[in-house]
Amino acid sequence: MQQITDTWLLFMRHLKKTGREPMWLLIGLLQPILYLLLYMPLLKNMPDAMGNPQTMAQTVRLFTPGMLIIMGMGGLFAGFSFIDEIRTGIIARWLVTPAARLSIIVSLVANQLVTLLLQCILLLVVAYFFGLEVPWGGLLLTMLLVMMIGTCMSSASYAISLTVQDEGALASITNTFYLPVTLLSGILIPINSSAPQWLQTAAQFNPFYYVVEGSRALFAGNFGEDKVWQGFVVMTAFTGVMLWLALRALRKMAA
Amino acid sequence: MSDIILRTTRLTKTYLSGRGKAQKTVEAVKGVDLEVRQGEIFGFLGPNGAGKSTTLKMLTTLLAPTAGDATIVGHDLRKHPQKVRACIGYVSQAGGTDTFSNAYENLILQARLYGVSQTVAAAQAQDLVTRFQMTEFATRTAKSYSGGQKRRLDLALGIVHRPTIVFLDEPTTGLDPQSRAYFWEEIMRLKEDGMTIFLTTHYLEEADNLCDRVAIIDHGEIVALDTTEALKRQAGGECITVGFNHESLAEQAKVLFGGVSFIQKIIHQDFKLHLYVQDGGAMLAEVLRILDKEGIAVQTIGLSRPSLDDVFLQQTGRSLRETGKE
Repeated sequence: MQQITDTWLLFMRHLKKTGREPMWLLIGLLQPILYLLLYMPLLKNMPDAMGNPQTMAQTVRLFTPGMLIIMGMGGLFAGFSFIDEIRTGIIARWLVTPAARLSIIVSLVANQLVTLLLQCILLLVVAYFFGLEVPWGGLLLTMLLVMMIGTCMSSASYAISLTVQDEGALASITNTFYLPVTLLSGILIPINSSAPQWLQTAAQFNPFYYVVEGSRALFAGNFGEDKVWQGFVVMTAFTGVMLWLALRALRKMAA
Repeated sequence: MSDIILRTTRLTKTYLSGRGKAQKTVEAVKGVDLEVRQGEIFGFLGPNGAGKSTTLKMLTTLLAPTAGDATIVGHDLRKHPQKVRACIGYVSQAGGTDTFSNAYENLILQARLYGVSQTVAAAQAQDLVTRFQMTEFATRTAKSYSGGQKRRLDLALGIVHRPTIVFLDEPTTGLDPQSRAYFWEEIMRLKEDGMTIFLTTHYLEEADNLCDRVAIIDHGEIVALDTTEALKRQAGGECITVGFNHESLAEQAKVLFGGVSFIQKIIHQDFKLHLYVQDGGAMLAEVLRILDKEGIAVQTIGLSRPSLDDVFLQQTGRSLRETGKE
């Protein structure tokens, strides 16, 4: 019970901090809008898998899940402000209190998810004006996947931050990881049968490939597709592992 | 009052530093044995890098010891860190104030993490704001605080849950003399309230003025441990410090004084000799006379009552006043 209270208290503190730095929140919210405004027009004339030209509504439906996932993957950058917090000694101060280590990690992740949710809602509103049509069930299940990605990615970022405690190292690790994972998941350009065979094979080993494909199926209302359950299974496992790694890193933190 | 509240046995911390073939084991703390008594101010005095903070991090559950044991307020540090956490307070060197919150928010959250209700936490926060004279700035976010104001909040955060023992890591480093004096008063008041205080410092004056007992630590080992009075008594009656303009002269003089009966102890440090004697005033003239007779030129000469620095000097051959400088 005390663990839940602690998580809540710390979460409220992080939320207050986010609210007191509205500039960062606004910049974070600008991101989805920029993606849709600058990226969507490029896709307008892209043919579908059959080679037929697509309508704007089709394009939006194909790429909105990917945009949502990119927002989720942004959790990878959560570590930057966290390293700053480690430096002020505040994390060490909480570690000396009886508060559970898990409460500290969960409260931080929950705060990231609030920002992520706001970004996603904004993105969906803009996508709606581009003509997005999506079944409610598909949308909610996709949002669940995106929240898992946010949890997984921010946990990974906290784990790295706690270990390296250096912004430069965090930047190079996350950037090295971010680009291949994004491209090989088919977020920006779908990996279909026209892609080279080796790339298709490589994508099979990228957990995010299943999530992206799964969420596209959900947006299209094809709930029974294999990629849907595969996406959930992969993401559940990854989220669990990353949370555990973050918790372990916090326990071992060199204060 | 002589109850032992903290006891360490052969407490040790070793790190691996470097990689591959260049990897070395660094012994930050080498088998420290300590006993801290209920209600005292216990000082951990030593130069930077002596292992003071590392010891404190082990005692506050932040760092797992490599070897050895510790019992704090009756709880085993290794087996029951959670129980230890409930009865200790800690103020790190960095402090750890939340600069995005004001003093009240900082204090209330800290108290609540110890399981106190919102009402009680708010009352405690108000008490501390009044006690540490923070009313004037307590509703502003801590970002705008001066160094001294921030440090006051740090201390308040460390004791908001009324711990049995509070650990202060270099509590006054970087403070101006006025804030330091204020801090010393507050620490004395905590002691009057019955709290046990364990502080680290590299300031001699701090250890001397504030602490009941002092452990002097160097290179991860305790070189002396006693009350400040006893330590100074051990150091000798009075100290005559003679400075020369060449090290060879100091060595020459050292040999010369080696056979002089009234000199109890001689410590040679670079260009200086520290001579420990009983009746300093009279002996000062005698020392000068001996040097003059041998034709050894003296550059400076001084007489002082032994300080904790003399204790450190006698144990390590170095002066804390000089090594402690940042």
